[in-house]
Amino acid sequence: MNGRSLDILIVEDEVLLATELEFLVEEVGCHPVGLAMSSDEAVALASDLRPDLALVDVHLRDGPTGVEVARTIHDDCGGVALFMTANVKRLPEDFAGACGVIGKPYSEHGVKTALEYLTICLTEDRAPGPPPVGLELSPAYARRWGVDERPAEPSQAEPQVGRQAAPQAAQA
Amino acid sequence: MAMLVTDASQADNPIIFANDAFLALTGYHRDEVIGRNCRFLQGPDTDPAAVEALRLAIAEGREAAIDILNYRKDGTTFWNALYLSPVRDKGGEIVYFFGSQLNISDKKRVEFELDDTRERLEAAVAARTADLTQALQQKTALLHEVDHRVKNNLQLISSLLLLQNRRVTDPGVKNSLRGMLERVSAIATVHRRLFQSEDVERFDVSAFVRDLVSDMVGSARRDDIKVSLDLERIDIAASKAAPLALVISELFSNALRHAFPPEAMDGRAGEILVRITRQDADFRIEIADNGVGAEPSASSGGFGLTIVQLLCQQLKARSETTPADPGTRVVVYLPINGVHH
Repeated sequence: MNGRSLDILIVEDEVLLATELEFLVEEVGCHPVGLAMSSDEAVALASDLRPDLALVDVHLRDGPTGVEVARTIHDDCGGVALFMTANVKRLPEDFAGACGVIGKPYSEHGVKTALEYLTICLTEDRAPGPPPVGLELSPAYARRWGVDERPAEPSQAEPQVGRQAAPQAAQA
Repeated sequence: MAMLVTDASQADNPIIFANDAFLALTGYHRDEVIGRNCRFLQGPDTDPAAVEALRLAIAEGREAAIDILNYRKDGTTFWNALYLSPVRDKGGEIVYFFGSQLNISDKKRVEFELDDTRERLEAAVAARTADLTQALQQKTALLHEVDHRVKNNLQLISSLLLLQNRRVTDPGVKNSLRGMLERVSAIATVHRRLFQSEDVERFDVSAFVRDLVSDMVGSARRDDIKVSLDLERIDIAASKAAPLALVISELFSNALRHAFPPEAMDGRAGEILVRITRQDADFRIEIADNGVGAEPSASSGGFGLTIVQLLCQQLKARSETTPADPGTRVVVYLPINGVHH
C-alpha cells in the first residue's frame, strides 16, 4: 500500500484480539509473520523471524513481561516494538526502546491508520506528519522521525478532522 | 534552699559545709557528707553528659546551672536543679565552690509525661499515616486494575464484533453489527479518555468528540463529507460520560450514514457540523448536516433514535430535531447542574 510492506509480529495473549489484529495487519498490506503469547515465545520468534515491527501487549501469559520483551527486541533483535496496552501510564519513560504506544481499547480505524503511518516512518526513517489519533510516539522516536514534540493545539486539529485519517497524503 | 560549700584548695574538692535543708533533701547526716566529694549524690541513671558538664565547669572555674538526677541515702532519686559558682579570694584564686540544690522532680515528671505523651501521639499519627498511605496505594492499585480490566474487556467485545462481522455476509446483519461496534467504540473511547485527566470524576466532552469524530469519519471512508467542529470545553460528571457519548455517537453516525447517500450527492460536498456551547443553564450540543433531510432508515435509524430518546430521559436532557434546509439539525440540551428548570 505504502511502498514496502512490513513484517509484523503480534505479541498478545488474548487470542481473539490477536486473531482480529492479524486481519487488520493484512488489511493495511502488512504481513503478520507470527503470534506469541508469552515473553519466551516473543523473544524466540523475534530473533528467528526478525520482524520489522512487533505489536506488544504488556500483560502476557507469563505476567507483565511485555516491557522486557520490547527492550529485548530493541536491544538484541534490532527490531522495533510498538506497545498495545490498556496501561499506557505504567510504561517506563523511555518506552523500553519501543517506538510508541496504542492505548487499549483501540478502534479498527485507529490501528489501521497507525500501521499505515508507521509503515512510512519505518520505510523512510522520518514521519509524514504528526501521529494519527490513538498513536503516541516515544520521545526518542518522535525526535528520530522529526515529529514536532509540541502538543498539538486542539484548535489546529479541529477543522481538518475529515482529512486526518489520511497519513499517506503526499507531503513527504 | 539546700546549700553546700566545698573547699577548692583541698584534694578532690571536699564538702566543708552543708545546711539542714541539704541534709533534709538528701537524707544524710552531716558527718556523712562533710569531707566527701559531691559525687556520692550520683547513681547509675545519672546522665554522664551532665556529670561531664559539671566537671568542666569546676575545672574551668566558672558558674554553672545543670539539671542532674541525684540519689538520696535511701537510694531514691530526685531531679536536682544544681547551681554552682566559684568563690575567689582577693588575689582571684578560687578558694571555695558554692552550690545550691533545688528539688525539681515534680516539674521534671510533668516534662517527661509531656514528652512521653507527645512521643505516643507522634507514633500514633505516624502509624495512622502509614495505614492511610497503604490504604490509598491499595485503592489506587485496585482502581488501575479495574480500569485495566474494563479496557481489556471492551477491547475483547470490539474484537468479537469485528470477527463476527468478517464472517457474516447478510447486509442487514452486517449493518447491525456495525452499529453495535460503533456503540461499543463510543464507550471504549470514553474509557480511554476517562482516566487521562487528573480528575477522575470529570469527563472532557470536547476531547471525546474530537476522538470519536476522527475515528468515525475515518472508518466511514467518505472523503466527500467534510466535518467541522466548534467545541467549547465542557466537563461533565464521569457517571454521565457513557450515556452522553452514546447519544452523540448515534446522532453523528446517523448524519454520517444516512444524510448523504452516495447516489444523491451529485458531486456535492456533504458537511456535518458538531458544535458544543453553553447556553443559559444548559450545555447545548448541536449536530447539523446539509444532507437529504430526516428520514431515519428503518434498519438502524429506528433503534438508534430509540437509544437517543431513552438516554436523554436518563440524562434529563431534551433533544430537538429541526429541518436545517437543506438537511437536519439535532440539538441536545443537557442541564449543567443536572436538572431542567
